Amino acid sequence: MRSGYAGNESPARAESSVGAISHQNTAETFTDGAESRPLQSVGDHSVGVSLADNTLRTSVNSVSAAVGDSGDEPTAEIVTSTPTHVPNEAEDVSRPTDDQIIAQENSIRAAEAEKRPFVGIVEPLSALEEEYRQGSAVFRDKIRSLEMQYGSMRRTRGDGNCFFRSFMFAFMEQLVQNNDIPERNRVVTCIRQWKAKLVAVGFQEMVFEDAMEIVIDQLNSLGTAESLSVAQLEHNFCEPMLSPMIIMLLRMLTSAEIQRRSDFFAPFIMGMCDDEVSVEQFCRRYVEPMGEESDHVHIVALTNALLVPIRVVYLDRSTGAAMAGVGYDSAAINHHDFVPDSLGESPTPVNPRVHVLYRPGHYDILYPLTVTAANSTQIASC
Amino acid sequence: MASKRIQKELQDLQRDPPTSCSAGPAGDDLFHWQATIMGPGDSPYSGGVFFVMIHFPPDYPFKPPKVQFQTKVYHPNVNSQGSICLDILKEQWSPALTISKVLLSICSLLTDPNPDDPLVPEIAHIYKTDRQRYEETAREWTRKYAMG
Repeated sequence: MRSGYAGNESPARAESSVGAISHQNTAETFTDGAESRPLQSVGDHSVGVSLADNTLRTSVNSVSAAVGDSGDEPTAEIVTSTPTHVPNEAEDVSRPTDDQIIAQENSIRAAEAEKRPFVGIVEPLSALEEEYRQGSAVFRDKIRSLEMQYGSMRRTRGDGNCFFRSFMFAFMEQLVQNNDIPERNRVVTCIRQWKAKLVAVGFQEMVFEDAMEIVIDQLNSLGTAESLSVAQLEHNFCEPMLSPMIIMLLRMLTSAEIQRRSDFFAPFIMGMCDDEVSVEQFCRRYVEPMGEESDHVHIVALTNALLVPIRVVYLDRSTGAAMAGVGYDSAAINHHDFVPDSLGESPTPVNPRVHVLYRPGHYDILYPLTVTAANSTQIASC
Repeated sequence: MASKRIQKELQDLQRDPPTSCSAGPAGDDLFHWQATIMGPGDSPYSGGVFFVMIHFPPDYPFKPPKVQFQTKVYHPNVNSQGSICLDILKEQWSPALTISKVLLSICSLLTDPNPDDPLVPEIAHIYKTDRQRYEETAREWTRKYAMG
């Protein structure tokens, strides 16, 4: 182990054969159920990277080989390096190479995938209770309260995309189960209208048109002989290319909604970020990149972009919520309804279409007791 | 999926080529491109033609392309291996970006180095403390390595 790469190594992760990020904050985000942010952490200067010697050598080899391949340009001198070249202490020690970062991300992703599929099977809420059996009494009490309203849940992978994934899966699953053609028609029209709005805020059509067609095709299959089934939906959301396509589209819609209404969102964004970022920079940094976690701003934007009301139920350590008529209930669950502005004026209460469970850093799907979750056909890993 | 997107980017580049750079597949492999960047006129790289290698990962555009200079460049954010320190090639990458935008960002980086996030601290130090020496060396390297 070269000393320069081992500077920040934490004993717990030192055994990894591919190398591990050793960073205090990073270590915390890798706890089960929390969203990990490998990209951001890896890019951070303060991150020390420990790499087994063979990994480093492999990545240096591949760089040199690739450079050597195209060395037939007469007009420019090609950078040459031998396979045994060790990065100069002064220039490279503080920063992992792109290859190293990618190798590391892949290993993190693989480890994460083994733990949890993108979208998991339907589980009874008792599974959640089991998870906190040894945990805090506040959580156990709250889970019991939760069971009064919700019957089951689906866990999603904690890779930073879990809000978008939970939202879209739950929304589409409901359309499939209810064969809700009117709502399908509405949302397909809504998505189509976004095409011009995305272009207007600067997205090139080629970056979103395929994803948009894929989502619309899936929605449009409802009510036909080849109708989307819940099993197919589970498959699509776990498919390594389709799944990120869907999330990418939602991220772009969210970004465009924020930018279109920047006067409305700017004060919230100013409050969230330490340094002064413009609304556009916020979208480039925290909305559009895959794996960036979602906050209230993202949820408000998405609910308005697609006009789908969302309820977020918070399972955290806060002790209780004020209950109308019964005073203060220590086990009461806080929730927040995100209602699209245009529906907020409605004289009748707006029922949320999608329910998600928020635990600090992570979102999963919840199914209210009145709605029966589909019998999951999914196998444990996908 | 990835190859469809790469094809679209290629068509877009051919239809509407940026003024200061060009890019396309290096051979038969659609995932391996070669690009050229003209040294910006208002920089010490002016007059140079810089070759850049682009590798698309199989899960492009969800992961960033790997972009490396093949021509030696004297720059605080480019090391001797040709690696480029640019946020949009790492944690700030998003599928909304394209190779065209990446190449334009590299052009901007040539004009305006980012010495506070250096890949080569010595060059960053010289850039900050002795701008004239930095510019002379960068011009010299451009003459030596980037002019046919």
